[in-house]
Amino acid sequence: MTNPVHLVINGRTVRAESDWSVLEAAKHHGVKIPHFCYLEGVHQIGSCRICVVEVEGMRSLQASCTIPVREGMVVKTSTARVKKAREVLYELMLSDHPRNCLSCFRNQNCEFQKLGEEIKIPDCRFEGEKSKDSVDASTPSIFRDTSKCILCRRCVTVCSEIQGVGVLGVNNRGFKTTIGPAADLPLGSSNCANCGQCVMVCPTGALLTRADMSPVWNALFDPKVRTVVQTAPAVRVALGEMFGMPPGAIVTAKMAHALRLLGFNDVFDTNFAADLTILEEGTEFLNRALSAVRGEPTVLPMITSCSPGWIKYVEHEFPGQLAHLSSCKSPHMMLGALAKTYYARKIGADPKNMYVVSVMPCTAKKFEITRPEMFIDGRPTVDAVLTTRELARMIKEAGIDFNSLEGSGFDEPLGLSTGAADIFGATGGVMEAALRTVYEVVTGREIPFPALDVTPVRGLSSVKEASLTLEDVKPEFRELEGFTVRVAVTSGLKGAKRLMKEVADGTAPWHFIEVMGCPGGCIAGGGQPRPTTRTIREARMRAIYAEDAGKPRRKSHENQAVLALYDDFLGKPLGHLSHELLHTHYTPRGRFNELTPKGS
Amino acid sequence: MTPDTTLFRPTSKADLDAVAARWHEGQATKKHQLLVCAGAGCVSSGCHAVKHALLAAIKDAGLGNDTVVHETGCLGSCALGPTLVVQPDGVLYTELKPEHMKGIVKQHLVHHEVVEAHCWVDPATKEPVPLLSDIEFFHRQTRLVTARCGSTPYASIEAYIASDGYQALAKVLAGMTREQVIQEMRASGLRGRGGGGFPVGAKWQAGFKAKGAEKIVVCNADEGDPGAFMDRSLLEGDPHAILEGMLVAGYAIGASQGYVYVRAEYPLAVERLEVAIRQAREWGLLGPNVMGTPFAFDVEIRIGAGAFVCGEETALMHSVEGKRGEPRQKPPFPFERGIFGKPTIINNVETLANVPVILRNGGAWFASLGTPKSSGTKVFALAGKIENTGIIEVPMGITLGEVVHDIAGGIPKGKRFKAAQTGGPSGGCLTREHLNTPIDYDSLVHLGTIMGSGGLIVMDEDSCMVDVARFFLDFVQDESCGKCVPCRIGTKRMLEILTRITKGQGKEGDIDLLEELAANCRETSTCGLGQTAGNPVLSTIRLFREEYEEHIRDRHCRAGVCSDLFKSPCQNACPAGVDVPGYLALIAAGRPRDAYYLVRRENPFPAICGRVCTHPCEDKCRRAQLDEPVAICDLKRYAADYVFANDEPHRDLVFPKKAESIGVIGAGPSGLTCAYYLARLGYGVTVYESLPVAGGMLASGIPEYRLPKEVLAKETRLVEQVGVRILTGVEVGKDVKFEELQKKHQAIYVATGTHFPNKAEIPGEDKAGIAHGVSFLREANLGRAVEIGSNVVVIGGGSTAFDAARTVLRLGAQKVTVLYRRQVEDMPADPREIKEAREEGVEIIPLVAPVEFLGNGSVTGVRCVRMELKGFDDGGRRKPRTVPGSEFVVEADMVIPAISQHSDLPFIDRDEVQLTKWGTLVVDKETMMTRKPGVFSGGDVVRGPDVAIQAIADGKRAARAIDRYLGGTGVLNKGEEIPIPRPVDESDVAEHERFPMRFLDPESRRKGFQEVAAGFHRLNAIAEAMRCLRCDRR
Repeated sequence: MTNPVHLVINGRTVRAESDWSVLEAAKHHGVKIPHFCYLEGVHQIGSCRICVVEVEGMRSLQASCTIPVREGMVVKTSTARVKKAREVLYELMLSDHPRNCLSCFRNQNCEFQKLGEEIKIPDCRFEGEKSKDSVDASTPSIFRDTSKCILCRRCVTVCSEIQGVGVLGVNNRGFKTTIGPAADLPLGSSNCANCGQCVMVCPTGALLTRADMSPVWNALFDPKVRTVVQTAPAVRVALGEMFGMPPGAIVTAKMAHALRLLGFNDVFDTNFAADLTILEEGTEFLNRALSAVRGEPTVLPMITSCSPGWIKYVEHEFPGQLAHLSSCKSPHMMLGALAKTYYARKIGADPKNMYVVSVMPCTAKKFEITRPEMFIDGRPTVDAVLTTRELARMIKEAGIDFNSLEGSGFDEPLGLSTGAADIFGATGGVMEAALRTVYEVVTGREIPFPALDVTPVRGLSSVKEASLTLEDVKPEFRELEGFTVRVAVTSGLKGAKRLMKEVADGTAPWHFIEVMGCPGGCIAGGGQPRPTTRTIREARMRAIYAEDAGKPRRKSHENQAVLALYDDFLGKPLGHLSHELLHTHYTPRGRFNELTPKGS
Repeated sequence: MTPDTTLFRPTSKADLDAVAARWHEGQATKKHQLLVCAGAGCVSSGCHAVKHALLAAIKDAGLGNDTVVHETGCLGSCALGPTLVVQPDGVLYTELKPEHMKGIVKQHLVHHEVVEAHCWVDPATKEPVPLLSDIEFFHRQTRLVTARCGSTPYASIEAYIASDGYQALAKVLAGMTREQVIQEMRASGLRGRGGGGFPVGAKWQAGFKAKGAEKIVVCNADEGDPGAFMDRSLLEGDPHAILEGMLVAGYAIGASQGYVYVRAEYPLAVERLEVAIRQAREWGLLGPNVMGTPFAFDVEIRIGAGAFVCGEETALMHSVEGKRGEPRQKPPFPFERGIFGKPTIINNVETLANVPVILRNGGAWFASLGTPKSSGTKVFALAGKIENTGIIEVPMGITLGEVVHDIAGGIPKGKRFKAAQTGGPSGGCLTREHLNTPIDYDSLVHLGTIMGSGGLIVMDEDSCMVDVARFFLDFVQDESCGKCVPCRIGTKRMLEILTRITKGQGKEGDIDLLEELAANCRETSTCGLGQTAGNPVLSTIRLFREEYEEHIRDRHCRAGVCSDLFKSPCQNACPAGVDVPGYLALIAAGRPRDAYYLVRRENPFPAICGRVCTHPCEDKCRRAQLDEPVAICDLKRYAADYVFANDEPHRDLVFPKKAESIGVIGAGPSGLTCAYYLARLGYGVTVYESLPVAGGMLASGIPEYRLPKEVLAKETRLVEQVGVRILTGVEVGKDVKFEELQKKHQAIYVATGTHFPNKAEIPGEDKAGIAHGVSFLREANLGRAVEIGSNVVVIGGGSTAFDAARTVLRLGAQKVTVLYRRQVEDMPADPREIKEAREEGVEIIPLVAPVEFLGNGSVTGVRCVRMELKGFDDGGRRKPRTVPGSEFVVEADMVIPAISQHSDLPFIDRDEVQLTKWGTLVVDKETMMTRKPGVFSGGDVVRGPDVAIQAIADGKRAARAIDRYLGGTGVLNKGEEIPIPRPVDESDVAEHERFPMRFLDPESRRKGFQEVAAGFHRLNAIAEAMRCLRCDRR
């Protein structure tokens, strides 16, 4: 693709691709250059200048993350001049940073601290005004403490370039420069999707997930409260990282065990609700498809609704297209609703005394549970959402030696699931699970992919497409004979925007679209352990598919507990009770979170 | 525009020539062309009202058919606006008001008489100068790109064409290849006028070679340096020239799109450029087929929000693209990847304005202007402490001194040039020693500054260089885009340190920190803004380090700017730190006695200083900005006179004795001051004076008519009264050995002054009738017999020269002539002395230097040579040079060379102390101690010839140092505190000149040695003291 060039780094001639930066070339050849704002493959703007190097023939030092390699370039990465420059730069950054590290949420997990370890300075000689000092607690998901912001701008890049949301930007100039929504509005007054991808890349404590551990502890410590917990599919393949395990370690059983030790009365699995979702959503899709072939008014493509970041995004950006969304609540909201109705009735508990906690890889779920349309009888169905990171912190706080736990299973009845539910945690998973069920429901045969693996919808590509023709259908679906279901899958809101533009323009060729708000799906959600790199995403994804492959039942419609639920309680998919408990509606929003849709 | 031309689309040089001919014919039918300057400066000073009044006056006078009134761009003399140039007479009228128009029309246009009342007045001669071409500000300029500004109506495309407009475009399109155009630009040597000075031809070549279907030319009009408005003037005054430059650039590199990126703060420029673009499109000069050829080029205006950083080309490109204006890494350079990824060439306004000039006249012609490596001219915006502010265009290589002193008219109010800032906040300073420096790209870089876009801010002695650095840092800090750490935080920290220093909270090591931070900015910032942000700091530290040190160490701001460091500018300026507003307030309150004692707390000689002080306080008096400085010195004298006249008993008491005794050598102002304060601390002090009287130079050097002996004696007695023993007629080394004094005293203060005249060092200096200034004055002042001539020549321009001249006159000389090698205004003597001498009949011949004393045995005359001032010396003064063949003889029977003087220290072993090459003693700056332990020194013997108040200040500092040396705290006993009256509310600060003091008339003066100044009347003194603005009330 590119012609290799040769350059000299610290006296050694090395080869590099011509589109590499000096930093990349150095890294490739084992030369470590301290860097800070740079984030591989994501962010390279050279704002912190820590990675400066000497380049022969250039008067000033050059940020190695932004300067492209050139043939014959001579680079020195560690000279007295460079060392001095880095020290002063670090000292300057430190002079504009609160030094209350011991009480900071990111203590010992802070890239700025680590940099200080790398670039030792004896003293901070510059005491002066601090540039930013404000706290933004306006959203239930993301907490901003701008005093800790060091303007690396990774969050800006992620928000605008990766997610395409563009809420976070740069305001003001000079020393007064701040990062935040336009006009320094609070996040809660913006079109922030609460995806939390900014939190994932923030090197310091400037962007945090709002911490909800306290109310959960209170509920756990209160003997009158029945505490119910559920865990999302993506948590079990990431939680281990918080305890030093390699990315992709599967800790399902240890996690369930730890939750019991924490004191939860019922340890359920959101996977149960994932299977349930497939039945509801699959039915919804079939109904829409049938209407379409019949020429009845309907809205296609139908788009999944599991990802609350995506939901908020589409409400802001495409308020006129909300009818495309499946009306299904996200799985944990379904489970929350069932816990406080079906399960409460079953155990004879008063829902008022129940406290439902969802452990999620997601920051947007924290916002989701506050949506008024999710309330039943004026009460939330899920009382608190903990991220993977928060759960790990609680486990640590409780003194549980996670790594040596034996492990246990989930509780019945809301703890049973199939492999189809596991793969909800990765991009394409919902689509794959839905196709497994829909195809079999319509044709009576298993989906024609080896080992049920619908590989075209798997992987980290921004947009994936597949099509599947329904042939030899069961008599009751004869109208769908020969119907080719065209599906698209995307993760990350930038891809979603691309697809939604086509949907809005009426040019979208698909019938069914899966959208996950975070790139890679829930395994890379805003609540997952840091860092989340491409390699780590892939490892977690592999673990997810391994969970699926290892399950005896891998199709949602084979989940016996779900079937029992229909028999005992709900009746049938899309039935009256389903509609009441498992489905929802959406709110058109404007650019700044005003509840007036644009273009409507 | 006449209807027949609206659809005219010229396609050739001949077409353009026809348009030009028609325009010139039209103008020729008018007797007068009246050019009203309508640059933004003149617009704000009301030129439109003037123009309307002018039109009305013309109509009333019935001259409508004979005259035409044009609005032109900026003439450059912005401080004089609104202006009017009457052509073809070439007369300039300045500072016009609408009500002047009737008179000017009547007198000038009807009666053909120049109205001198509205002409520019030369501040030096106070004479009106009617002709524009006679005014130095204009005739020293070379106007290439500003040629049409002030001479051609900016809104008329015909007028532009009539002044060679679009000829360059026609020439290029009529047969030059793109390579030839670029070659012409290369040959011209034109360098980018935006600051960096990158060769334009090379840039265009890169743009030409860059691969891309579409290319872009950008005119960078984001002019943001404080005080700079060259580009605005060009855009407002000659917008078509910019378009023509862009067209040629577009043709050369193969671009079809041009953008003018101009700041929103320039609405007038935008408006006029819009008109020009519209006209050019109508005339087929912009658009799909420029001048009927296949070349397509159009221009759009992009308005920036006024971010300084958007002048940086990558930030500018982001801004044009609609992004936040922030720079990015280069490479890739704009010619590789520019606006929307297309190859882009960015030149600033002035650069582009040069393009048509070059293409019309040829690159070689252009290269012959200016210097070899900086060809052509440069437009500067002159601002700051100069007489003539505004826009000028001068050839590259002109010296800074010519710009500051000749074109800009020098520094107002007789102040001295201190520094000039070039290159705006990215640049640095040039100082007095750089006045002979040619202004070109490389010389400036060599001196640690840059050309920049052409802002030139001149500073005088009232500018504090730390504060200047702080100002620029404040600007840069605000304008940083905030992306890079060094520029965002580093500049802020530098600003904080500088602010701290100017507030008197500087710390040791601050200068090092500033240098470190500035270096870090330069080394690690992405863009030019950050890389150069520390330049003003580095430059001022390099050139004015001692000012930084004074702020930090002494909490002193010599310029009197950093107001946290002092009570009032006058007190700050006084070497002895006298509380000036305090004693003025006491005089105003009718308490002259308290005033006298308040002065005496800091200076034991109020009556003496009230007569002979050079009063640096008055140079800093804020009142001068309103009318004249308060007569601070004379008021001090008034207070002293009052106390003496009323002969009130002295308040000083005897102080508890200490064991140590101190010997002071020399009873001059420095020795006596030191002795006085030491005695008040209880030390036994003995002063050894070789002359028969105490007073040093005050007694031997200053004639009685300036300082009566009685006054000197009175204040000397007051020193004795606190316990000081003064032994006159005792010469150390002769009458008493220095070693004996060392044994006798625990510390010694050497303050022997400079009593030995320097020689003129020209042939014949040993002739009879030649008496050197200090020696002559000493003999005369001590009442010894001196021989005098009747025709006396005095050589020199200082106080000694004038004291000698006036003394010899009083002793009976018939004719006294002072020869001086510079101009009278350059004389170091006090202007009042010069004035009085002239009143008394002393003649002054300036600009001459003696080369030989003539005569056999006795002097009969001085052979002199005329001098001319050319260039500048290291001190920033114009340098005298002999005019070859200009020798002449001044006859004289007595000659008094009064050039300078030096010290002699026969009693000290030279090997034991350190002497400078001027023979002055070397002392430690802090402790004032010489190499010999316990031996301190101060006053002229350390400083070289200086003024009394400095000697007094030294004596005081020495008293502190000696006390500390002997184990004391160094805190002086100054006497009782005197409460100062609160200022009365002075809401009415009406202008009022000084209240008069009484002087003896010149005739009676000549007859004897009676004191010339007779002092204030009480009422005038009180009134004069009330002129004080009380800067101390804060």
